[in-house]
Amino acid sequence: MKSMVENRAGRERALALVVALEILIFAFTGPHFLSAGNGFEIIRLGVELGLLALALTPVIVTGGIDLSVGSMMGLCAVVFGFLWRDLHFPIALAALSALAVGTAGGALNAVLITRFGGAPLIVTLGTYSLFRGIAEGLTRGVENFSQFPVGFLYFGQGYLGGILPAQTPVFVAFVVLYWLLLHRSVFGRAFRAIGFAAASNGDARWSGIPVNRRLALSYTLSGFTAAVASLIYVAHLGQARSDAGTGYELLAITAVVLGGASISGGRGSIWGTLLGLAAIVVLQNGLRVSALPVELAGILTSAILVGTIAVGRLRGRARSTVETEAEEDEMKNYQLAVLSTVIIAGSLIVAGSNWWLVKSVAPTGAPASAPSAAPAAPAMKRHTIAVMPKAKGDPYFVSCRLGAEAAAKELGQDLIWDGPADLDPARQNEVVEAWITRGVDTIAVAVVNAPGISTVLRKARAKGIKVLTWDADALPDARDYFVNQATPQGIGDTLADEANRILGGEGDFAIITGALTAANQNEWIKFIKARIAAKYPKLNLITIRPSDDDRNRAFSEAQTLMKVYPKMRLIMAISAPAVPGAAEAVKQSGRKDVKVTGLSLPNMCKPYVKAGIAESVVLWNTLDLGYLVVNASRQAADGTLKPGVDSIDGGRLGKIGIEGTQVVLGKPLVFTKANIDQYDF
Amino acid sequence: MKQRGIAIGIFWAVLLVTLAVRAPAFFDFANLRDMEVVNAPALIVAVGMTLIILAGEIDVSVGSQFAVASVVAGTLAKAGVPLPLVALLTALVGAGFGAVNGALVTLFGVPSIVATLAAMAFWRELLRWVTQGAWVEGLPANFQWMGLSQPQGELAILVAAAAIFGVFAWGLRHWQAGRAIYAVGSNRESARLAGLPVTGISMAVFVLMGTLTALAGVLDSVRFSQVQSSAGAGLELKAISAVVIGGAAITGGRGTLWGTLLGASVLAVIAPALTFLGINAFWEKAIQGGIILGAIVLERLSARGGGRSR
Repeated sequence: MKSMVENRAGRERALALVVALEILIFAFTGPHFLSAGNGFEIIRLGVELGLLALALTPVIVTGGIDLSVGSMMGLCAVVFGFLWRDLHFPIALAALSALAVGTAGGALNAVLITRFGGAPLIVTLGTYSLFRGIAEGLTRGVENFSQFPVGFLYFGQGYLGGILPAQTPVFVAFVVLYWLLLHRSVFGRAFRAIGFAAASNGDARWSGIPVNRRLALSYTLSGFTAAVASLIYVAHLGQARSDAGTGYELLAITAVVLGGASISGGRGSIWGTLLGLAAIVVLQNGLRVSALPVELAGILTSAILVGTIAVGRLRGRARSTVETEAEEDEMKNYQLAVLSTVIIAGSLIVAGSNWWLVKSVAPTGAPASAPSAAPAAPAMKRHTIAVMPKAKGDPYFVSCRLGAEAAAKELGQDLIWDGPADLDPARQNEVVEAWITRGVDTIAVAVVNAPGISTVLRKARAKGIKVLTWDADALPDARDYFVNQATPQGIGDTLADEANRILGGEGDFAIITGALTAANQNEWIKFIKARIAAKYPKLNLITIRPSDDDRNRAFSEAQTLMKVYPKMRLIMAISAPAVPGAAEAVKQSGRKDVKVTGLSLPNMCKPYVKAGIAESVVLWNTLDLGYLVVNASRQAADGTLKPGVDSIDGGRLGKIGIEGTQVVLGKPLVFTKANIDQYDF
Repeated sequence: MKQRGIAIGIFWAVLLVTLAVRAPAFFDFANLRDMEVVNAPALIVAVGMTLIILAGEIDVSVGSQFAVASVVAGTLAKAGVPLPLVALLTALVGAGFGAVNGALVTLFGVPSIVATLAAMAFWRELLRWVTQGAWVEGLPANFQWMGLSQPQGELAILVAAAAIFGVFAWGLRHWQAGRAIYAVGSNRESARLAGLPVTGISMAVFVLMGTLTALAGVLDSVRFSQVQSSAGAGLELKAISAVVIGGAAITGGRGTLWGTLLGASVLAVIAPALTFLGINAFWEKAIQGGIILGAIVLERLSARGGGRSR
């Protein structure tokens, strides 16, 4: 038993060293990383994830797992919003009801595990789908709830005494609660006993422990804590949607396991979990503040995770054969050595990628350190222009980035291009916070969630940073300018007009969208429906199917649609990967009477447009959009783009009109067989 | 565990009868063929997952492996490598991924869920970093359907999936190696004492899993003329669900590939069935979760019923 305690302490020391090393490295690479403000922001960003990690610690200590906590956040958010807005519950009562739902969901897991003997992994895999599914079903994917009272939003956005994020006390309370539970109560010992028994295929019941009741407690508590995390998440973003907390369960599990908990049960501590959480959150924040590729966060976290466990196991194995004090010390050093190697390797990657980024983004010369090395535009001041897409991996934004990089090169500006990997409003806030800490000159955001991001954008403006939005707008008072490539109404109208043209004024069509919850697509669908109701009464929208932005899913949805609705003559796919997916399905079916149109990138769709399967593809010029965003950002920083100006010099785009606070790129393009070869993006 | 199979079998029968009554077009040859072609790669992954779970392990990194394999296959084909060689090299890459997982689990003693959770994030993020989300476009004309005509290509995919399934279904029952997987999964220590090379067997199932996933990635990619770099998201949960719905014990040692086939079929049919029945897509996830939970509850209830009658 003693060696185990020591083992744990060693693990925690090692992890503390990792966190310290992270902080040390980022103190050098990230401007203002070591400021108090950034420290508090890290806490704010870690609270939701931290609550889930706390909730999972006792569960994992018993040898179980709970995959449903992220989905539970989505369900509680929706229930909370629904009760408050539609059933006019007072906000406190709605919050209590959401907590009750979370507790009930946790109890459902508990009952299925203890009474029905389901394995925790399977049960919570089921509720993982079930909870999210109910949330999507209740809101029909589309609805979301916002405009919560200021007093409630304070819990997610406010500062106590002007500096301490308001959610901190809640988090601290839960840390204390879980610490007491796990380390200072008989419950904690029972959890451990159950876990050790599970790990060695035994049964803790023989030790007189009420196994089922203790297990039930850990899962029920997990559901309750997920509900608390959900409320804080909603207050943080100002909006309740069914996609809240997507993917958080895996990060939370990573934090717990990184903190030294044994996934097979028995071992685990609250301190360890907090350290694991810190290692993850500091890494993410540090990479962002240093303007390094955030993909490294996942790569390094997994390396550290596997590294610490593998080394710990090897050490344990070695010690079980010979146990002398000297050897133990040696092994400890060895463990630290390996960990340091992982971190140093990581920082080398960081340094290497920094060099690589500099090379790829600003090939005219080194960035801020050598501002004179920009011969292309000697008169222009060198600014740091930060631009955020909605999702980095989306092919649409990938092509916007090419335009942005071209503009940065031409104008001699430093471009930081960063954003969430997938559509995730909470991550967008984190990136903006990191940029404020870093101290950039301008921030331009393609907004996923307008009420969610506006608070942090206002904060950026208050610090003197010029704030632009592009692709989708924030609340108007939260930004200086909006680079407007085409309004949702413009897109909706153009798509409806195209449908009318292709169908010849009459016929059935279906829509394949991105994710059912995607705000963009839902907005377009709204305007498509409105336009059709007003102008094209003989067009008939039969159904809307999701593709989850996956080409293959769009393919099979289109296949099924053609069979179920033989009279359908047009598939309108409104997510970039969905158009080639649907077009391929039509091509393989050999049907000549079904056409495809939608919103996508010309290169992706070229073969299908040329073959006459995709009649047309609608989009604006994404290269121009990326170019204009950087150009307008630069002029906002210089002061040439200021109130009262009615046009700016758009560089290779010529004169660009300004309407109020909107920089207007112009109408969407319609790519057809005739013109698609002129575009390469 | 058998009861879970029976419970799912009943659900499956009810679903098919409902479809036969409400939407007979569901059983058209073209629809069945298309559904089989679309889901053949996922079935191959589920075959690998069955081996993994039977051996008492788990692999949540298959979705990421699948995506990397697809991009590798596309990149090789674009570079002019002939297709059979593309398939072989991609399979080797997959075997390599599996070997990394296997080594972490067997040599370094990292629990498989942790090792593969790390591998999942590692490969996915690395792929994102390298491709920046860009697709592999401009593939040679003979990439799609492996240079065959469409009906031939579809047949080739189905034959490949059926062959893989058949070999493993037969081998699990009748080969020593197959029995050894069950032995290791049901009790590792007994298996070791009985003289089985337990480390080698665990390693082998991970390598097989990686190889099968890579092959599935190739077979999935050749249905199209471009490779998307974000393929396979959520594939791991789909494969695990298929195995579990099929009645396998998550603790290892119990389960069959026929059960997995049933589980994979149920999961594959839900989305098209909803469209055929005119049910809204919004409830799809809830129904998926409901099936898994329903299987657990029914299994327990029928086990109790059986106990009473005895």
